[in-house]
Amino acid sequence: MNLELLLEPLQYGFMVRAFVGVGLVAVVAAAIGTFVVLKGLAFMGDAIAHTAFTGIAVGLLLGISIHVSALFFALVTSLGVVVLTRVSNVRNDTALAILFTGVFALGIVLLSTSPGFMGDLNSLLLGSVLAIQAREIVLIAAFALLLVVVLVLFFPQLVLASFDPLGAEAAGFPVVLFQSLLLALTAVAIVISIQAVGVVLVVALLITPAATAGLVTKRLKLQILLAALFGLVSSFLGLYISYFFGAPPGATVVLVATLLFTAALTIQRLRSRGGAAC
Amino acid sequence: MKVQAAELALDIQNLTAGYQERIVLRDVSWQVPRGTLAAIIGPNGGGKSTLLKTAVGLLKPVSYDALTLLGQSPEEGRKRAAYLPQGEEVDWAFPITVLEVVLQGRLVRKGLWGRLRREDYAASRSALEFFGLGGLEKVQIGALSGGQRQRVFLARALVQEADLILLDEPTTGLDAQAQHELADLLVELRKAGKTIIAATHDLDCLTECFDQVLALNGRVLAVGTPAQVLTEEIMVELFARHFPKVGEGGEVMLHES
Repeated sequence: MNLELLLEPLQYGFMVRAFVGVGLVAVVAAAIGTFVVLKGLAFMGDAIAHTAFTGIAVGLLLGISIHVSALFFALVTSLGVVVLTRVSNVRNDTALAILFTGVFALGIVLLSTSPGFMGDLNSLLLGSVLAIQAREIVLIAAFALLLVVVLVLFFPQLVLASFDPLGAEAAGFPVVLFQSLLLALTAVAIVISIQAVGVVLVVALLITPAATAGLVTKRLKLQILLAALFGLVSSFLGLYISYFFGAPPGATVVLVATLLFTAALTIQRLRSRGGAAC
Repeated sequence: MKVQAAELALDIQNLTAGYQERIVLRDVSWQVPRGTLAAIIGPNGGGKSTLLKTAVGLLKPVSYDALTLLGQSPEEGRKRAAYLPQGEEVDWAFPITVLEVVLQGRLVRKGLWGRLRREDYAASRSALEFFGLGGLEKVQIGALSGGQRQRVFLARALVQEADLILLDEPTTGLDAQAQHELADLLVELRKAGKTIIAATHDLDCLTECFDQVLALNGRVLAVGTPAQVLTEEIMVELFARHFPKVGEGGEVMLHES
């Protein structure tokens, strides 16, 4: 491989910032995403991303920090989901879908009231990683560090609340607290990832590398590390490809992650076919 | 003679319980003295799981005159209780090893900031040895047989130092041999001073192992020793709808509700 070709994008400040920014969120999102995949919460992730969009719209209109308002909306959504699933014992796919698409639609309407913001719509939906600023990198890095620290600190408790919530709660363990913490961590990961790949694709950063890792190993810590690695590989490869071929960066990153998953799935299928015929 | 509350592992008086839309149990009263090996029997939908879940605070009771676990409120008493959910309520594909599952029994006691220490690993390993699972500590939980999975969860209850162990349908999916081995283990645990309450629709080995049987179908049909409860009259009343009946023309009819 030609080293000069590899280094070429890095002579541009915006590309360096893109590599750092996307790399950071991809690693963190994949790590948290491993729990999201294990608990089947992908749909919740989508809901959180869509309400975070409305949070950004509100932030723009009120002239306050869009990160703060997006985080507020995302956290309210995730904790609302915890309450919702506990109050009624049924799965609430329908209620959740109605609620989050409604809130999302409200965000678009709010944004459209001010023509100056409609230009932001595209970058919010599809990401604008090349426009990422140095101070935003600092913010992303701070939140990424916070997520990793919390994840490491409460790892055994999060596993306990995820694996056998009934048995744990029946023994007096604060399961709801850690289920809420998990969704709050997911909300933060989503909010810091929106600029990289946009509202529509952000769930892919959570889910796809983690699901790929789940095909490779059945050991949780290894799955988390591999998910982070796959996230990092996807984001770097995706950015290189988008640089040389002029493809949209966020979408290319997600596409690479999807191809990695497909490759892992194919290998796994071929292997298991070798074992048992079915 | 009225038994003192402190000597009871479970004390329920006139409990009504169930879900928002549907009351499952009405006016259930049951007292289980400490050190008892007790079974709850009855048809599916008869409220066995509801009773266990309400006792450990997973379900809020609708109303009751008394409800104590080990002489305390369910919220306090359950800290010295272990609940083993039905097999179908556990995610067996979860990437967790046998040893890690047992270690959770220690972590559960330590709460918010709990850390696992060397002695927790030692206790968990010796519990696995006790249940004959010594060589399997690094195996993913889902790779075990049904009987082995039950023993892992019992090992977890043991390291949790639970005085009361509640099992929801522990024999589901076990073959006859594994069922007998499980029954033997429950007897062992009872000898070690534990109180054990198992919900089961399986009537095998109840007579030889258990001290007390509660026949439950929405309400209490009978309670007493196996010999007192497992009579033809009570069994017919308890399971009547589930017995096939022969009609006048000789055809077999199933009376599933």
